[in-house]
Amino acid sequence: MRLCSACSAEHQADALSRGVDSQRYAELFRSESREQLSAINRALLELEAAPEGREPVHVLFRAVHSLKGMSATMGYAAVAAFAHELETLLERLRTGDQVISAELMDALFAAADVLEGGIDRAVDGAGDPPRLTEVLEQLRHVAGGRSTPEFRAKTDEFSNAAGGFPGESAGTPAAAPNLDEGPGVLVRVRQRPDTMLPGVRAFLVIQKARGLGDVVAVSPQLSELQAAEVPQAFAFRLVTAMSVSDIESAIIATGDVEHVEVSAGRGRQRSAVQMSTGEEAAPVSKGARHVRIELARLDTLMNLIGELVINRGRLMQLTAGNGDPALDEVMTQTARLVGSLQSEIMASRMVPVWQVFDRFPRLVRDAARQLHKEIEFQVEGKEIELDRSLLDEIGEPVVHLLRNAVDHGIEAPEVREAHGKPRTGHLTLTASRERSAVLVRVRDDGRGIDRSRVLSRAQELGMVGGDVTQLDDEMLFRVIASAGFSTAVVVSDLSGRGVGIDAVQARVRQLGGVVELESVPGEGTTITLRLPQTLAIVRAVLAQVGGERYALPLTHVRETLAWSDGAVQHVQGREVLVLRDEVLPLMHLRQVLRAPGEDDPETADIIVLERGNRRAGLVVDELTGQQDIVVKQFDAVRDGLALFSGATILADGRPALIVDVGSLL
Amino acid sequence: MRTMVGDILQQAGFEVIGEAETGSQAVEKYKQLRPDLVTMDIVMPDMGGIDAVREITKFDPKAKVLMCSAMGQQALVVEAIQAGAKDFVVKPFQPSRVLEAVQRVLG
Repeated sequence: MRLCSACSAEHQADALSRGVDSQRYAELFRSESREQLSAINRALLELEAAPEGREPVHVLFRAVHSLKGMSATMGYAAVAAFAHELETLLERLRTGDQVISAELMDALFAAADVLEGGIDRAVDGAGDPPRLTEVLEQLRHVAGGRSTPEFRAKTDEFSNAAGGFPGESAGTPAAAPNLDEGPGVLVRVRQRPDTMLPGVRAFLVIQKARGLGDVVAVSPQLSELQAAEVPQAFAFRLVTAMSVSDIESAIIATGDVEHVEVSAGRGRQRSAVQMSTGEEAAPVSKGARHVRIELARLDTLMNLIGELVINRGRLMQLTAGNGDPALDEVMTQTARLVGSLQSEIMASRMVPVWQVFDRFPRLVRDAARQLHKEIEFQVEGKEIELDRSLLDEIGEPVVHLLRNAVDHGIEAPEVREAHGKPRTGHLTLTASRERSAVLVRVRDDGRGIDRSRVLSRAQELGMVGGDVTQLDDEMLFRVIASAGFSTAVVVSDLSGRGVGIDAVQARVRQLGGVVELESVPGEGTTITLRLPQTLAIVRAVLAQVGGERYALPLTHVRETLAWSDGAVQHVQGREVLVLRDEVLPLMHLRQVLRAPGEDDPETADIIVLERGNRRAGLVVDELTGQQDIVVKQFDAVRDGLALFSGATILADGRPALIVDVGSLL
Repeated sequence: MRTMVGDILQQAGFEVIGEAETGSQAVEKYKQLRPDLVTMDIVMPDMGGIDAVREITKFDPKAKVLMCSAMGQQALVVEAIQAGAKDFVVKPFQPSRVLEAVQRVLG
């Protein structure tokens, strides 16, 4: 180990400012350091939960050390010096010279905050953060030790931290089994973006592979894969004597395969083929290198591809009846290329939710401490992916829901005990996929919403008739989510939630999602945000009513069926749909829209809509197909348009309105 | 529904040699006619489509059955494939997709 006593922050900064335009790297530095800060916060939470753990200390040490190196490289001397002090203290923790106390934990949390603030200010060129010295003193005081004024960075690690910095971010946490090593060959498959019943198609691929040899591992797991509602990329290991090209053609023959790649894993014996389009094969491997791209650039790409998708549709219609085989061939290839381009661009925008969720444990901890609550917070489904812009948008509503749960949902420890509940409340944030929707759910085991108080308040405000004696979940939600109600009630006066739900609801609806609420008195409250996976392009069923076409996003469509007299029955004078052993209410889109004409049972189709556990049948004149539609939001939702969430342009260039299914159910 | 798939296939030059309205009829017809390909709805009166596939494959392990399914029937389609179906198409039917699937099965 060589000590580099010359590596003072100033020295480094001098060295760098001569050769490198540091402003160019400032944003890069900011995002890199976010990752380190988030690792620090995670490790601190772990350490607080289990003070005897060694691993969090190592993680902390490494992250702080990297931050020190990065800041020094950028010439942010104050931040680097602070990180250095922190590192010195952590070193003492690591060697066991320092014991962890509650006081020390608080000081460490404060230090993490100061570090974050310091980095932001340094990048913005705003100077040193005000509390730097104060927190430093506190740290020194708590640690009871003296700090060393010079940097004792190890040369090798130091240069590593600096050298690796414009580069590769770590991959997402592995949720699936590691297929990189093992017997046989690694087969990676990507499905076409327009794959129907993709889960079943994937299952067919695995079935086929089993006919070729032994399938020893599948990622994601078969059960998960088989239930997939959106086209996927998946991989498995296959032990077989067959040649690479035979395996590839067999897999392609199962249909809807956009790309298949057979390799030994870890980059040996690579081979890739692309389906019949002559595209350059671009295998995406797990250990791929990463490049950072400005979000605005991705947005532009997204807009462009949206327009291109519309044009593809138009072009296909225009060339359809042409009868020129050469033109048809070029058209088919172009259409497929546009499809691949679209799925690649969409994929490049998808990020795992942990990128935003990772800061929540800290937030919940702080809120709980402030309010003297004891709360165990869990985050599930961190690896679920969402469009970047959507993820950014839901951060704030989720923070709101979490704060509400800590503040008004979960009771104080004494109150919980008095009610025979465990002192520690449970708060869970879950992300999961359901069909093409992503669900974000905040669940607490607190007191639930006091329905009678909400009811009487709602009656006072004239929102609910005086004859109503009980509010079900849906009415309850409608009441507390209305703007008038929220602002009219002092939150702390209401045992339950209230404030801001209207804002959450407005934001989520704007994103094309819906909010659902369940609350059981004494047992807790669950709020679910049901979101589309991406904002701009969604898959939709197209239906025709009264000569006009409407698009219904697949997010809410469970299945479709033709009208039959057996399925449509009358129960107590009401028309219902009997589907297997379920009885569902039936609506006519024509009546909902007050469109002219009459439904013709001979040709009508029924779309089964689903939102949470509410289902209903929707009668339309005709189903005209499924299509990716490019959502164009209205500038503002006007009263008459409450039924629609936006509009789109169909393949023939005509517009269609997008039905807001959430408002129908 | 039957006529629709039939129409698509006939337009593409296939000959429809028999139709059945129930699962058990389908099994009987198969034994009688030994067609190159069967298209089968998942939900059918009497004996369901999946059981019919099972019966047909038991009778002729090389039988080529193409399932016709609606959206939301993932689990059922998987079951049908386990029972011996070779491929599937999803409603609403697009002729090109139906023909692609038929080619794959006959391939």
